[in-house]
Amino acid sequence: MPVYRMPDPDQQKKEKEPLHSSLADNLRDIRKRTGNSNDFVIRKFALLHSPIQVAAVYVAGLTEKDSVNDFVTHALSFEAKESGKLEVTTSLEIFDYMKEVALSTGEESVISDWDKLFEMLFSGGTVILIDGLKEAVSSNTSGGEVRSVTEPSTQVAIRGSKESFTESIGTNISLVRRKIKNPNLWVESMKLGTVTQTDVSIMYINGIAKEEHVENLKKKLKAMHLDSILESGYIEQLMEDNTYSPFPTVYNTERPDSVAGNVLEGRIAIFVDGTPFVLIVPTTFFMFFHAVEDYYQRFDISSWIRLLRLMCLMISLFGPALFIAALNFHQEMIPTPLLINLASQREGVPFPVFVEVLLLEITFEIIREAGIRMPSPIGQTVSIIGGLVLGQAAVQAGIVSPAMVIVVSLTGISSFATPAFNMALSIRILRFGIMFIAAFMGLYGICIASFILVSHMCSLRSLGVPFMSPLAPFILQSLKDSILRAPLKFMKQRPGLVSQKNVALNAKGGNRDDDSDN
Amino acid sequence: MMIAITRWMLNVLVSLSLVLPLSGCWNSRELNDLSIVSGIGIDKADDKDEYRVTFQVVNPTSTATSTGASTGQPPITIYTSTDRTIFGALRKTSRKSSRQLFFAHTQLVVIGEALARSGINDIFDIFERSHELRLNSAILVSRNSNAASILKVLIPVESLPAIGLVKKSRNTSRLWGENREVNIFETIKGITGESELVLSGIQLTGDPEEGKKKTNLEQTEVKTLTMMKGLAVFKDGKLVDWMEGPAARGTQWVLNQLKTTTINIDSGEQKESVAVDVTFSKTKVAIELRQGLPVFHIRISEEGSLSETKAPVDFSKRDVILDLEKEMAKETQEEVKQAIQTAQRFGSDIFGFADQLKRTKPNVWKGVENDWDTLFAKGQADIQVEAYIRSTGMRIKSYLIKPE
Repeated sequence: MPVYRMPDPDQQKKEKEPLHSSLADNLRDIRKRTGNSNDFVIRKFALLHSPIQVAAVYVAGLTEKDSVNDFVTHALSFEAKESGKLEVTTSLEIFDYMKEVALSTGEESVISDWDKLFEMLFSGGTVILIDGLKEAVSSNTSGGEVRSVTEPSTQVAIRGSKESFTESIGTNISLVRRKIKNPNLWVESMKLGTVTQTDVSIMYINGIAKEEHVENLKKKLKAMHLDSILESGYIEQLMEDNTYSPFPTVYNTERPDSVAGNVLEGRIAIFVDGTPFVLIVPTTFFMFFHAVEDYYQRFDISSWIRLLRLMCLMISLFGPALFIAALNFHQEMIPTPLLINLASQREGVPFPVFVEVLLLEITFEIIREAGIRMPSPIGQTVSIIGGLVLGQAAVQAGIVSPAMVIVVSLTGISSFATPAFNMALSIRILRFGIMFIAAFMGLYGICIASFILVSHMCSLRSLGVPFMSPLAPFILQSLKDSILRAPLKFMKQRPGLVSQKNVALNAKGGNRDDDSDN
Repeated sequence: MMIAITRWMLNVLVSLSLVLPLSGCWNSRELNDLSIVSGIGIDKADDKDEYRVTFQVVNPTSTATSTGASTGQPPITIYTSTDRTIFGALRKTSRKSSRQLFFAHTQLVVIGEALARSGINDIFDIFERSHELRLNSAILVSRNSNAASILKVLIPVESLPAIGLVKKSRNTSRLWGENREVNIFETIKGITGESELVLSGIQLTGDPEEGKKKTNLEQTEVKTLTMMKGLAVFKDGKLVDWMEGPAARGTQWVLNQLKTTTINIDSGEQKESVAVDVTFSKTKVAIELRQGLPVFHIRISEEGSLSETKAPVDFSKRDVILDLEKEMAKETQEEVKQAIQTAQRFGSDIFGFADQLKRTKPNVWKGVENDWDTLFAKGQADIQVEAYIRSTGMRIKSYLIKPE
């Protein structure tokens, strides 16, 4: 689905079209504008004591039937006045009554233009139009089918909450609010996408998040002229400073506890209606290698697991490249018995090492991609055929050497050890580039590639915060929660680059260190 | 402006990426195109002033892994070439070998006895100069045969003979102590130093022709075998003679290279009836000139444990142990004395005394530099050994002692 940028941003500023005064005109216009879509329900009411026509309009799938009925009967209950005397005769009087009685519940509003009318309808509202008036009353009656809160499917944790976000932005925000019961948890909403009119909310904690970041983000969001936003990925891609970088600079999660934790550190969460994936900015490189569970488990285990993940990153990035380099350029580096072993394995393999690696890596990528898109029962078949049959048969046929299968599978498994899927994808792509350079220039090439990669990563920024912090720039305080995880007892400060300086992390707040500049 | 910059950057990027493949994988070599050389043998050519260089090349199809059909070929192949230089011989081998020889994994260099006797000082330059050859390859001198025949012999248990020979020399120098692992780097150091060189010898027993065949290994007792035997003593880069048994071990003792060894000591009446495992030994050497003649002060402290006894001695008694310690010290002293006497007979200072003197007393060294060989031969050895027995093994009293 292509994202079209609207050519003319001024279009939004056009004059608001007022409603007609005649009910028939209004209803005809609604029918016309919606192309007679039959999920737009129009219910006309004839009042007992008055000739004035009234109609309720709502969209079938977006509303809850009971709420609609409640609202309508409530708004039109003036007929049941105990006096029995006819009090309301004119349109204006009906309207005033409705405003007075019905609007008291707070969820109702008065609308006078078409944009507002459709906005209400699409967000699940019911609109009551009165003949002879240019204004209408609406109420939030939203409901309909939504997915319930389920266990997270992409960011599974052994320990920690078992809930994940849904497609409904309201539910998602409430899930976080349940975790942070504090009036300072601020949510600001806006509608983005000129066609889709998608609800987008940003969430941060006032007083912890840096104001400049909030302002910066709002400016960025407002500057996006999008046709449509179907997933938070649209916003993520438009928000990135460096479009051509292979690294993602916006973190996404489907776990409310992850959002809560990050918001508490001073980051800002971006909720988009229609997707369970919530964006978090500013993002640093190490966030992609952290899982919320790290904070729930004890520090030593978490630290070890974080080191393991970084090791897996190295393997999945450099594994095949190092193998190519060692086998093609630096045979003297391999211990003699191992070299002879490898040489005997490669005996009879008809391809150069690079082609062999490429063959297996691409096969592996195909299996992986096919496995993801397949319906889950067939997905297993794919992995069995791919993993066992193909790997085994290729070795027996002498097309690839067994050591190569080990290297490629280890690489593949290592890439799954990255908690963030989008980072794992980037590494997957970069791996091929590094393999290519290694095939040309050996270890020297790998060194060049890593040098380029590291300097590129150091140049990246996410919402103004250096991507590689706290390593570059080096911030000792924040190192407590990057490569390793210090015991909670010692983590007294929030990461200084993303949060306001003077906030201590733990409840006591006693050990505030004002002169530390992180 | 913006477009111009982007275009410029694009141009740079494209040119840079085009430069990349220009390197043309300059040093890339597939393993299938390499013959891994595991051992090099250097001999004198029979009647010419040339080297006959033997290469032991690994045959990857026959080294044990489960994949691929075994071709039934032996695990190694031998190529031999003669030339005025070693490098020349090495390149000439391309006429015989289907793959380029790859020397970075050369484990062993064997020098033929004939070549050793005529001088080895000038053969090691290539090992320092070449980027492939290693300085830490082990070096052995073939005894009573040429180097080629040593490299041709298949040895049991080990799949690669060269690695097997290196392990053999390591094993015996660690456990028995008559030989020592010497690598090329140390050899060159020995050649350039003031002292003389000593290398381990390896000897072939049995029929050399049988040793080349796999059938030789298809029996429980291998008929053709290589074994470590003696130390080759050099003088001015030429092999003088072989040193054997106690003298060889004494040499290791003086050189402070002894790791563990076993000595049989007398217990009272019975000769060599108690075996002591020497587990620790440290040697300090000091040299001084006394009335123009050098005196070698050698201080050895060693520790051992009792491993076996044939005599009914009661090890629970302190006196007995003290006596045994004295015997042990005497035995050690005897071996060291033999080593020094043998070396003095050859007039070859293989113990590094000259280097030691030069390092510690450069002024004294200047005075004796020119006639060190004769002075060394006349020098006196002052050997003092402290020996301790630290343990008696799993038992204290032997079952040989009858209960009272």
